[in-house]
Amino acid sequence: MNDGRMSLGRKLLLSRSSSVLIVLVVLVLGFAILSPEHRFVDPDNLKVLLSLGSEFSIIALGVGLLMVCGEFDLSVGSILVFCSFVFLRLFEAQVPLFFVALTTILVGAALGIINGLITVRAQIPSFVTTLGTMMMWRGLALLFSGGEQKGCDVSTVPSRYFLPFFTGRIGGVFPAQAFWFIVFAVFLGILLHYHRFGNWIYATGDNRDAARAMGINTDLVKTVCFMIVGVLCGFVACAQIARTACFTSRAGEGWELKAVAASVVGGTSLRGGVGSMVGIFIGALTISVIENGLVVMRIPYFWTYVVFGLVILFSVLSSMYIEKKQREAHR
Amino acid sequence: MERQNGEPLVRMVNIHKWFGRVYALRGVDFEVYRGETVGLIGDNGAGKSTLIKILSGYHQADQGEIYFEGQKVRISSPRDARKLGIETVYQEQALAPNLSIARNIFMGREPVRRWGIIDRKVMNEESMKALANLGLRLRSPDLPVVTLSGGERQGVAIARALHFKAKLVILDEPTVALSVKEVEEVLEFVRQLQREGISVIFITHNLYHAYDIAERFVVMARGKKMADVKKKDTSPEELSQLVIKSAFAE
Repeated sequence: MNDGRMSLGRKLLLSRSSSVLIVLVVLVLGFAILSPEHRFVDPDNLKVLLSLGSEFSIIALGVGLLMVCGEFDLSVGSILVFCSFVFLRLFEAQVPLFFVALTTILVGAALGIINGLITVRAQIPSFVTTLGTMMMWRGLALLFSGGEQKGCDVSTVPSRYFLPFFTGRIGGVFPAQAFWFIVFAVFLGILLHYHRFGNWIYATGDNRDAARAMGINTDLVKTVCFMIVGVLCGFVACAQIARTACFTSRAGEGWELKAVAASVVGGTSLRGGVGSMVGIFIGALTISVIENGLVVMRIPYFWTYVVFGLVILFSVLSSMYIEKKQREAHR
Repeated sequence: MERQNGEPLVRMVNIHKWFGRVYALRGVDFEVYRGETVGLIGDNGAGKSTLIKILSGYHQADQGEIYFEGQKVRISSPRDARKLGIETVYQEQALAPNLSIARNIFMGREPVRRWGIIDRKVMNEESMKALANLGLRLRSPDLPVVTLSGGERQGVAIARALHFKAKLVILDEPTVALSVKEVEEVLEFVRQLQREGISVIFITHNLYHAYDIAERFVVMARGKKMADVKKKDTSPEELSQLVIKSAFAE
């Protein structure tokens, strides 16, 4: 490989996303073949997988983007539940649904900005900042809601657009959540790979000092990425309540590490500067497939974490191997 | 070559800088003329880096004035410095290793089409052109910088300065951690800058790397300028004596 231009096939094979894709394909085939009566590929299950899984996956996209710029957000589950609570209160106060949803998303954006500002202004590692806000927002949501589950049936209010927007079926089949997952992935993918802001995200994550010396406002870049995560959390809060017709203070529990796992499985570096939206997309899908697949296989839920662990380790090891091969190919 | 008659490109006057209780710069005067290459030498902690970081907008002076092309200027950010035409190549910090060569050269100044979408074709072509101007032939603008040698990396950073029409390029320890062959490569890049008429400040504590290419030497120690001599009036032996003596003098 001396001309620097590799054949497409070889390029694909050597891209970080490929090992993830192989994991995903193996898992999907495995579940499809091994699940009783091939229930994994049953249209009903696929709909469940695509609608439930997409809620988590949408947030994972943002977490991955944030990791590319070198930061973590452990507070996603808590921002989600806090947003859900805001939604509940506004809904109970009979605010028109459009404004309920808009406010919920704006609150998500605000909580993301708070994470960002604390991190960049006080120069605290975001791992710590968001550990703090993770506890705080869930704590407040628990406090205000009394830790209870509350009905929040959006369908009791006449609205032509709200439910179809968040939980509809495109062509009567394809879940709206999955549609939004793809839309967000494409949008964030264009932002990250084709827009100048994406280059700032990479530069900030890869070498913050260089980025700053080149006049990039790295604090702004990071804060915007935190905000994007917050917006996605607010969006998913709306989608989740629309689907379940209730508020639960346990919403989003455990999503923070699952989202990090999805990003890592998708080839994102924990040190920032490395990652792709395709990889994060496939990584998020992989995590959702594992969760759903094990349920369909009737394997006790506790196994989920064992499988997560194995998949994470396998992906990291294989992407390290691919990286090494890649460098050799360049030399 | 007598340059002292003209207006200096940059003139820093009576620059003071405190870091908390540390008195890092104690009233330094420093100037660079057009097309001139100045070797800024001195031991670690002498204040060389602080001085040029003030010039490149990374730090602000607590006291003192900066004149650029005769005009008094305030340089309060790296962006301000670049607008004036001052480009800095920091030691080991100038590039994002996982990003491509082209993305590094245009970092923060990406050529865009509508809606801020990067114009890859322009970016790649211009990158290859900038590298070729420096005499550096790399296979593809898409290669990540991490795959390049140390000398090539400095070349990419210098090509960036060249492409954006710098009037003054500051090289902060550009030869640190390079092999002998790579050092020669970097010196060749600097000669190319000289041929283009660009002023250069070459910071190093290895006098011998700077000796070949600089026309004037400024020796710093403990936050003060200890000497300012033209190459024709000195020798490497005398300079290294100056560096050693001034580091221990009190």
